[in-house]
Amino acid sequence: MATVTCKDFQDRFEPSDDSPRIDSPPDLDAKAHLRDCPACRSFVQDLGMIRAAAAELAASDPEPPARIWFSLRAELEKEGIIRDTPSKSWLREFFGGRFSALPRPVLAGGYLAALLAIAFGLSGPINSRINRQRWLDGTQSSTMPLSAELTSAEKASFSSLPASESSESPVTASLHKNLEIVDNYISLCENSVREEPENELAREYLYEAYQQKADLLAQLNER
Amino acid sequence: MSTAQFLPLRFNWKTGLLAPGLLLFTSSTVFAHNIEKHFKVEPRSMVTIHNPNGKVVVKAWTKSEIMVIATHTSDKVEVDAEQTGNRVDVMTHQISASVSPEDMRADYQINVPEDAELQIHDDSGEVSVANVLGDMNVETIGAGVDLEDTAGYLTVKTVGGSFQCIRCAGRLEVSSISGSFKLLSLRSYHVHAQTSKGSILFDGEFLPNGIYRLKNYSGVIEVHFSPGDSFDLSATSLKGKVNSQANLTPPAHPHTVYSKFGNAILGTFNAGHAKVELSSFDGTINILKRE
Amino acid sequence: MARVRRVETPGELPEAEAIRLAQAGNAAAFERLYRLHNRRVYSLCLRMVGNTAEAEDLTQEAFLQLFRKIATFRGESAFSTWLHRLAVNVVLMRLRKKSATESSLDEMTEPDEESGGPRRDFGMLDLRLSGSIDRVNLQRAVEQLPPGYKAVFVLHDVQGYEHNEIAEIMDCSIGNSKSQLHKARMRLRELLHESMRDKAREDRKAAGNAGGKD
Repeated sequence: MATVTCKDFQDRFEPSDDSPRIDSPPDLDAKAHLRDCPACRSFVQDLGMIRAAAAELAASDPEPPARIWFSLRAELEKEGIIRDTPSKSWLREFFGGRFSALPRPVLAGGYLAALLAIAFGLSGPINSRINRQRWLDGTQSSTMPLSAELTSAEKASFSSLPASESSESPVTASLHKNLEIVDNYISLCENSVREEPENELAREYLYEAYQQKADLLAQLNER
Repeated sequence: MSTAQFLPLRFNWKTGLLAPGLLLFTSSTVFAHNIEKHFKVEPRSMVTIHNPNGKVVVKAWTKSEIMVIATHTSDKVEVDAEQTGNRVDVMTHQISASVSPEDMRADYQINVPEDAELQIHDDSGEVSVANVLGDMNVETIGAGVDLEDTAGYLTVKTVGGSFQCIRCAGRLEVSSISGSFKLLSLRSYHVHAQTSKGSILFDGEFLPNGIYRLKNYSGVIEVHFSPGDSFDLSATSLKGKVNSQANLTPPAHPHTVYSKFGNAILGTFNAGHAKVELSSFDGTINILKRE
Repeated sequence: MARVRRVETPGELPEAEAIRLAQAGNAAAFERLYRLHNRRVYSLCLRMVGNTAEAEDLTQEAFLQLFRKIATFRGESAFSTWLHRLAVNVVLMRLRKKSATESSLDEMTEPDEESGGPRRDFGMLDLRLSGSIDRVNLQRAVEQLPPGYKAVFVLHDVQGYEHNEIAEIMDCSIGNSKSQLHKARMRLRELLHESMRDKAREDRKAAGNAGGKD
């Protein structure tokens, strides 16, 4: 019988997927080694325990949140991949298509807060009978939470940067420069929405600018 | 590139003069590292490239093989190319704790079968792809992207990098914050191009049932058409101008609410087979006849 | 052109029919396909990246890529295999983008001792993993695996895919899948042992401090 070392055994050991028992190596030399070697017995048992614990991990996974589907569907409609959209409520049509990607981790809370604020502030159809002032107030309350969340995320992003930014990399500098560009557009769009609250195109530009800002902040945070 | 040659020296007075000079020479010489790897692949292979800084040039060839040639000068980074099944992953990664952006630079030349699928991430530098017909996803920060004679589903995202696409077919989606786009001699059936500060030039075919959406905040959107083209047009600029040389018939479809605000031109050119939607916040939109 | 049947209840649609209708742009069919597979894809993403927000982002990205390409699906492989292949690619791209100092696969089993990497003491590891493995520690250890090992481990041991399915998802051979799984498990064992040793050291230190104070 050839001598099997622990290294040989552990490197070659391959539990059979068909066998319920993980500690049943096929060849005689390996079986003999397993019988005589406590370290390799513990190795085999450890692998079995890891495998058993891993199987339980999936059972503990949470359900994916419903917003993934809403966001996904909005993007599919926007891209024309979904082609037979049933009639939707104005509310869902208004904010469902505005964000084509979930925000990155740092902005997930801001996104949810903004959706709730938008739903509250803009519920109800647009028609000429709506009081203009109430519409304006609805507009302001719907843009404020997202704007505030993005501002605080931006501050958090900058506060985590090293104190001296004189040696900022070109990539980071480019991200900052583009962030300024987007901030400028947000300001222009906000003015436009304030002047003409019924202008859906202006709103669409505004929310897309917010989304761009969120993406840029997330990229900055990743560096 | 150059490598220093260490020559055996006899000690004499001439060596005494030469040695410091050689020392200076070697200390200022740049050591370039080159790797070349070949991978055999099956049809519809995938190549992923992750390169923080540098040039990435991808070309198609007729072999069922992926060739990767990588060059970098710094010892602080390493380039890896490894194959898993029908996928080849190429990556530049740092091996030293402190690395400057210039140290991270690596240039790649990669040859792939024409049906390969590509995923490229290159923060700064340049990306160019030619004759590859598989799907493609390219993301950059400042790197410009040049595609030529490509097809498939192309998604390109840059922050500030420009984008040029010549004779591309399939489906194209490109977005940027400040990059400009040139879409020339296109044969795509679906184009969605959106930039904030950049300009967009579209000079391609409007295929029947194709959808062409070009959008920006400021800058110019310029679209060229021929007398034989056929499209439904909706062009709106909230604060800027819209100029059209196309003789349009009134639209067959109801106006959208957008037409109440800003400057808009809506109508049908010839039979209206394709759909063209142009939109700008305060830029100028020009729809011009080809000479 | 085939007539598209309007489907009001996505939950009733068989997968093959949902694929056909989705290829024609039917909204309910897309939703059905999403509901059939979202949990597994989300679980895969969550195990690979370790946080819910990023897992949500990746889940959406995977389904988006899938639905964009659904017209090209010709049934050469199982739909779920095709979807998981996309999802694994999306996740691996994200992980590679984040990690600039990733070690190669070979380094994880033959580490450079000068770097202080873990040593494999084939005969010396007599510390058996305690009676049950803490789920939190296991998840932390999984997060430390290189992306390739992590993907095979999650697909096989967590999600229950067979090696032939993993070979198709990861575009590798069955032998390669088995080899990577084995390496992943061995690496996890080392990481869990390290974690146990660290904890034992902390406990001894705490006990020593408490004794000193008395």
